[in-house]
Amino acid sequence: MAARKTPVIQLQDLVKKYGLGDAAHKALDGVNLRVDQGEFIAIMGPSGCGKTTLLNMLGLLDSADEGTYRLDGKEVERLSSARRATIRAEQIGIVFQNFNLIERMNVVENVALPLTYHGISRLKRLERASEVLKSFHLTEREYYMPWQLSGGQMQRVAIARALVNKPSLILADEPTGNLDSRSSHVIMEELAELHKRGNTIIMVTHNPNLTSYASRVINMLDGKIASDKKIRVVSESKPEKITLRSKKTSKKDDEKAETTTKKPASLAEKRTRKKGGKS
Amino acid sequence: MTKLLLRDHFDTARHSLKRTRMRTFLTTIGIAIGVACVTVILSLATGVTSVINKQVDDMGGTVAVVRPGVESSSDSLDRLLNPTITQRFSTSTLSSEDVKAIKEQHPNLHVAPVMTLMGVMSTPQATVDSGSVMATTPEFIKTTDLPIESGQFIDDDTTGKVAVLGQQLAIDLFGTNNPIGQTFTFRGQAITVVGILKRLNAPVNYNSVDFDKTAIIRYDLGGDLSKNHAQIQQINISAASDETLQKALPSVEKKLAELHGERDYQVVAGEDISRPASQFFQAVGATMAAIAAVSLVVGGIGIMNIMLVGVAERTREIGIRKSVGASNLMIVVQFLTESLLISLAGGLVGYVLGVVLAFLIGTFIYFAPIYTWEVALIALGISLLVGILFGLYPALRAARKDPIESLRQYR
Repeated sequence: MAARKTPVIQLQDLVKKYGLGDAAHKALDGVNLRVDQGEFIAIMGPSGCGKTTLLNMLGLLDSADEGTYRLDGKEVERLSSARRATIRAEQIGIVFQNFNLIERMNVVENVALPLTYHGISRLKRLERASEVLKSFHLTEREYYMPWQLSGGQMQRVAIARALVNKPSLILADEPTGNLDSRSSHVIMEELAELHKRGNTIIMVTHNPNLTSYASRVINMLDGKIASDKKIRVVSESKPEKITLRSKKTSKKDDEKAETTTKKPASLAEKRTRKKGGKS
Repeated sequence: MTKLLLRDHFDTARHSLKRTRMRTFLTTIGIAIGVACVTVILSLATGVTSVINKQVDDMGGTVAVVRPGVESSSDSLDRLLNPTITQRFSTSTLSSEDVKAIKEQHPNLHVAPVMTLMGVMSTPQATVDSGSVMATTPEFIKTTDLPIESGQFIDDDTTGKVAVLGQQLAIDLFGTNNPIGQTFTFRGQAITVVGILKRLNAPVNYNSVDFDKTAIIRYDLGGDLSKNHAQIQQINISAASDETLQKALPSVEKKLAELHGERDYQVVAGEDISRPASQFFQAVGATMAAIAAVSLVVGGIGIMNIMLVGVAERTREIGIRKSVGASNLMIVVQFLTESLLISLAGGLVGYVLGVVLAFLIGTFIYFAPIYTWEVALIALGISLLVGILFGLYPALRAARKDPIESLRQYR
C-alpha cells in the first residue's frame, strides 16, 4: 500500500471566489499550506469557512482563481483537464460524506470503478477490488447493492474505492458526517490504519472528537487558515500510534477500547458489531 | 490513459440500456423505421434498375438506341427533379429518313424505329383504352428479345393491317390468349391478329413499352393510321457483336449529324439506355428517401431526447466517475457509445425489417428487390451517423458537467 510517489502539497496564496460583483465572496482567501508525506490532517472550522472548497481544490475537482497549487512539485493549475483526470485516477482517492456509490453497481463494481480509468481489464479490476474489500472485511458483501448496506458499510466501501488505485493522497470530506458515532469510529479506525501504513490523509470534519486521530489539526475561518498545530510528530513507530489511539478511546465508549488497542483482533469484533449494530 | 476503454463503455452502456429497457426499445423503433424505409427504397430501386440493365445485357451489349432530344442536363439533381415526362409529349426530332439512312450506311446492322400511337382498341366484346399500339419494322425482333407464344411476328410477308398482340391485351380484347385470325378495330381500321407474344411481365424496359399490353403493327401501317404525323420515339440499332456495334456507332452519329444539322438527338449504348427509366425510378426513390430521412431525423431526435434524460438522471454518476478519474473524453465516449448502441440496434432491426418488407413488396410487383452490400452499408452508415449526430450533444453536455455540482445532487 506504500505510496508510489510522494505528493508534497504546497499551496501558495490560494484564492477561490464565488459569485460576481457585489455578491462575490472569497471561499478561500489566501491559503498557504504545506503537506508532507504521511501526514493525517484534520481540517476543522464552521460551515462556510472554505473547508470543502479547499478539499475540492486539493482533489483537482475545482481550480483556484489565484495562487498556486503544487502537487509533487508540479503546478496543477496549468494542467489540461485530461491530465488532471489522470492525476485523480492515479494519485488521489476521495471519500465523500454521502458515500457517492453508484446505485446500480454492486459493491465490488463500485470499488473497481477507479481502475477502469487506468485501462485495466475487467477481470483484473474485480480481482483487485475484491482484495481491497477483503482487507475491509466486506468480502461477504461483494455482490450486495449499495442500498442493501448500512451507512457504515457504505462508507467502508467508499474508502475501499478510494484506496483501490493505491493513491498517495486520500481526501475525506466529512467521512463520518452521515454516520452514528459507533460507525464513525469504525471508519476512523480504518483511516488511522491507512495512515499508519504511510498514506497521506486530509480529512474535513465538524466533529472535534475525531481530531484525536489526526497528526495535525488545521482550523479554518473565513477562507483562511486560523490555526495549524501538529498534535504529534509524524512517526512510523508503532507505540506512538497506539498511544494516539488510546488517547482517543478514553474519551469514547469503552466498547471501542478493546477493538482499538488490540488492532489485529479487531477484524472479527468489527464484524460482530456490524451485524448487531447498524441499520 | 489515452485508451478509449471501448469495452468498458460498451458494458456500461449495455447495463444502463438494460435498466431502461422500455424507453430504449421505443427509441430503437424510431430509428428502425427510418432505416427500414431506406432499405426498402434502395433495394427496390436497385431491383428496378437491374431489371432494365438485364434486358440490355441480355442483348449481349449489342444494342444502341437513338433517342430524340438531347440529354436534358448532366446535373443529377435536375435530372431527378425533371424526369423524362417531357419526352412523351414533345415532338420528336427523329424521322423515317434517319432510319433509312442508318440502314443504308450499315446494312449489317438491324435498325428498327419505334413509333407509339395512342388510341382505343375495340372488339365487339370489349374496348381497351389502356393499351398502346407500337408501329415498327420486322427487324425490331432482332433488337429486342421478344418471345412469340403463337403465330408469328410481323415480317416482310405480313403486309397490310395485321398486328401482334401482347398476351394481356389479347385476353382483354378477345377473352382468350389465342385470338389469331380475329380482328379488332383501331382508329377505324380493322386489324387482324397474326401473333401473340409470350407474357413478359416487364412493363419497364428500354423501349418504354409494356409489351404485354401492346399491339405491334407494321411501321407503314402506323404511318397511315397517324396520317404520317406519327412520332418516332426511338430507333433501336443492334449488331451481331459488341465490336461491330462500337465500330458502327461513330459513323451513325456522323450520319445523323449530317441529316439533322444540329445535335437534337442522342445515341446511347450500354447502361445509358436504361437511364430514362431508372431516372424516373430514382426520382420516385429520392422522394421516398426524403420521407425516410424525415423519419430518421425524428428517430434521431428521439435518441437525443432519451440521452438527455439519461444524462440528467445520471448527473451524480457522472460526478462520481469524474472524481475517481474519468476525463471529459471518457464521459463523452461513454454516452456516445450508448447512443450508438441504440442507433445501431435500430439500424440492424431496421435493415432486417426492410429486407423482409422489400421481399414482401417484391412478391406483388413485377420486379424483385435486390440486396446489395451497398444497401447494407448505407443502412449501417446512416444509423452510425444518426447515433453520433444526435448523441454528441447529450454526451458533450454530460462531459461538461462540473463534478462538484454533480456530486451535490444527492440522487
